[in-house]
Amino acid sequence: MSTLHLIRQSAFASNDFAQCLSVLDHRDSVVLMDDGCYNLKHSLMDSLIKRVGSVNINIIASHAQARAIEIITAVNTIEISDVVELTFTHNKVITWQ
Amino acid sequence: MTSIEQNSSASPQESVLAIINSKAPFSSSHGKDALDVALIFAAFEQKVSLFFQGDGVYQLMDKQDGSLLGIKDYLKTFSAFEFYDIEDIYVCQPSLASRQLDEDFHIDDVQVLSSIEFGLALNRHQHVLRF
Amino acid sequence: MKTLAVVITTPPYSHLTITALTYVEAALVAGINVIGVFFYQDGVMHANENISIASDEYQAIEHWQRLQKQYQLPLHICITAAEKRGIACDAIDNDKINKAFTVSGLGELVELTTKASRLVQF
Repeated sequence: MSTLHLIRQSAFASNDFAQCLSVLDHRDSVVLMDDGCYNLKHSLMDSLIKRVGSVNINIIASHAQARAIEIITAVNTIEISDVVELTFTHNKVITWQ
Repeated sequence: MTSIEQNSSASPQESVLAIINSKAPFSSSHGKDALDVALIFAAFEQKVSLFFQGDGVYQLMDKQDGSLLGIKDYLKTFSAFEFYDIEDIYVCQPSLASRQLDEDFHIDDVQVLSSIEFGLALNRHQHVLRF
Repeated sequence: MKTLAVVITTPPYSHLTITALTYVEAALVAGINVIGVFFYQDGVMHANENISIASDEYQAIEHWQRLQKQYQLPLHICITAAEKRGIACDAIDNDKINKAFTVSGLGELVELTTKASRLVQF
């Protein structure tokens, strides 16, 4: 079983990202989108990046660029069309918004 | 409405829907909106489970009284879960602990789970909605 | 068969809806069978015929209409959520409801959820 987690809120404003991380399982994937892109600079990100290999981390390139967020190498840059594909390569989707 | 078909991809032990409640009960309508979804799934005899995490745990706490705020207290409907065969009600233990809450709920049969158990329980569902 | 049902809870004037629209259109372009979009909570505001968004802003309602027409994409609004937001649904020839949308109940969400291989909420 694997889950695709869509992160749409800044962790500086809400606990959604923290709640997602607390249930995140190995083989799961995370997509940072909308204001979720700001989480790239949040301290919670450190623990997530340590799990790369077990967990797959992605960011919507246009959403990050629009916000002048510099993307780091541990994170895959994707587009929304890739999220459609990820929807079906995982068993379910949880949106944290 | 046409008949509801059983989805063939769901294994027998897997429930159709998990609903994560993440908001406190009274300032927004998220809790009520989530409850309406849960009850309709149950009314259509579809297996639905309720998860309470973050501020959502406040929806379960005893001794609350929404009528003091002039709100129709939808939390009272939680006592009908048994009648609707909504049996799987899970609450996140760390969310209770960080809010200094005891396991003092206004309904019975709430299962208090660690974060890991909470995540594993979520995994037993085919779809997830979060309010 | 890849079947997808989508739940929209954000209104047409929320920029979060643009992401949802981009996603749904990408799914349709990829040949995914999107069996329906269910508008719940503030999402029902998309069906409000009286909404007028400045022409230089994102036209979410027009975008849904276009997808509905081009792909025969079913767009369902939750009647309870709609009436609560001033979109009267009882009259047959109702001029407050955008015709691209179908007035449905939460039972439709049950139907979509049980039929879809994936359910995605925005």
